[in-house]
Amino acid sequence: MSPRWIRLASIVVVLIAWEVVGRLNPLFTSYPTAIARAAVDLVQDGRLQPALLTTIQGLGAGYFLAIGIGVPLGFAMARIRTLNIALDPYVAALYATPRITLIPLLVLMVGIGFQLRLVIVVLSAVFPVIINVRDGALEVDRNYIDVATSFAASRWQVLRTVVLPGSVPYLFVALRIGAQRAIIGVIVAEMTSALAGTGILLLDLAQFFRTDAVMVIILIIGFFSILVTAGLRWIQLRVSPWLRSTSEGER
Amino acid sequence: MIDPMLKVEGLSHRFPGSEDLVLDDVSLEVPNGGFVSLIGPSGCGKTTLLRIVAGLLEPGGAGQVYVEGKLLLKPSPEKAMIFQHFNLLPWRTALANAAYGLELQRVPKAERRERALAKLKMVGLEAFVDHYPWQLSGGMQQRVGIARALAVEPKVLLMDEPFGSLDALTREYLQTELQKLCEETRVTVLFVTHSIDEAIYLSDRVYVMGTHPGRILEEIVVPLRRPRWTYNARGQREFGQLRDVLWGYLHHELAAHVEAGSEPIGYQE
Repeated sequence: MSPRWIRLASIVVVLIAWEVVGRLNPLFTSYPTAIARAAVDLVQDGRLQPALLTTIQGLGAGYFLAIGIGVPLGFAMARIRTLNIALDPYVAALYATPRITLIPLLVLMVGIGFQLRLVIVVLSAVFPVIINVRDGALEVDRNYIDVATSFAASRWQVLRTVVLPGSVPYLFVALRIGAQRAIIGVIVAEMTSALAGTGILLLDLAQFFRTDAVMVIILIIGFFSILVTAGLRWIQLRVSPWLRSTSEGER
Repeated sequence: MIDPMLKVEGLSHRFPGSEDLVLDDVSLEVPNGGFVSLIGPSGCGKTTLLRIVAGLLEPGGAGQVYVEGKLLLKPSPEKAMIFQHFNLLPWRTALANAAYGLELQRVPKAERRERALAKLKMVGLEAFVDHYPWQLSGGMQQRVGIARALAVEPKVLLMDEPFGSLDALTREYLQTELQKLCEETRVTVLFVTHSIDEAIYLSDRVYVMGTHPGRILEEIVVPLRRPRWTYNARGQREFGQLRDVLWGYLHHELAAHVEAGSEPIGYQE
């Protein structure tokens, strides 16, 4: 059997098993047909779309802001020793602190609307982005920097022609981890404090024991995460054709 | 008197924080269009010497480097380095790698493309311009490395065991190719190797280096006529004699260190 058929068969078996076992106590995991029905209901009564839109807006704006701050700062910290020494303690401390503990304070500062989502997404994503970009830029092979230096390259030329392309794999690790943290951040913020959005919808549905509808939300968030990861992988291969060899195990 | 193309004068080096003298008062000269080799066991500081000449390392001690009588310790377009592990940038095609030095010198795009292409042709890689380094064999990668260095039209080529990581056949082939290129471009070469045969076959003159501290033991002139690929240079009587002489120096150097009880030094032909 080809891998494709094995995978398909596996999915079918799991879905059937879920359908059968899930019906024994629908409160715990629900079951596929009920979940499908709940999905249609959620769309038809118009609760799902505005919730998703609200979440995506905060998530998207915060994520791009985090990249806009984190990527340049990461490279700057890698290339400017003084800056790295000065900022490292804060970056490391904030990276280690679970950012969701800041939510109660953030509510006091910016309220519970769009700004809360924006701020928590930025705080969730920016530190892993900074750290991975910086470490990636520091990992770039000295031998390549030697080539540039031997041709009397300026610091800026070294950054542009060696450090930037050399740290592409780390950059995408940074973007991937950043995206995951951002999604966690925005959902948790909504579940704890926001009045609208996907997170609070999830909580509402759970309080009414709508396991089937809760599963719809969980699956949407799961698929969205997978989509973002796959999209970043696709972009990575487009911008760095030389890495195709590595994905095929050449090196 | 005409200044030599490359001159190293009284170079001594210690790495920061270390008492060990890596290079002790090394002086050497390479005339315009000349091919001079540095040979010595691992750890004699020959690569360190080359990196200082290239400007990749600041001398930790005394010493000067002159190109055409002009003091030149910093990296400069007059000196181009060829590396043992090729160091092609993996994210650039063969052509973009060959054009890299020109790009850093802000040569306009069309011109640098043309010049890099000409050099790739010279090393026989015109059919591989769009290949990435991982798609090329080691020998081909080093030919791109040579094209990259020649593209900036340097006065001095600094070669750090450039064929050291290649198989024996490719190595001999590239030794001949390199001779032809030098003939064609009239470039001056300072060549680091630990192969006795390679040093004799390629050089006008060979400096033998000893270790701890790295210093020049002897300077030997190679009397074989050029061009050497037109006859069996390796089969000449003088070649064999020089081989014995060089081996004598290096053997003595290795034996002295084993007797002194220091770390055995690797020597590989």
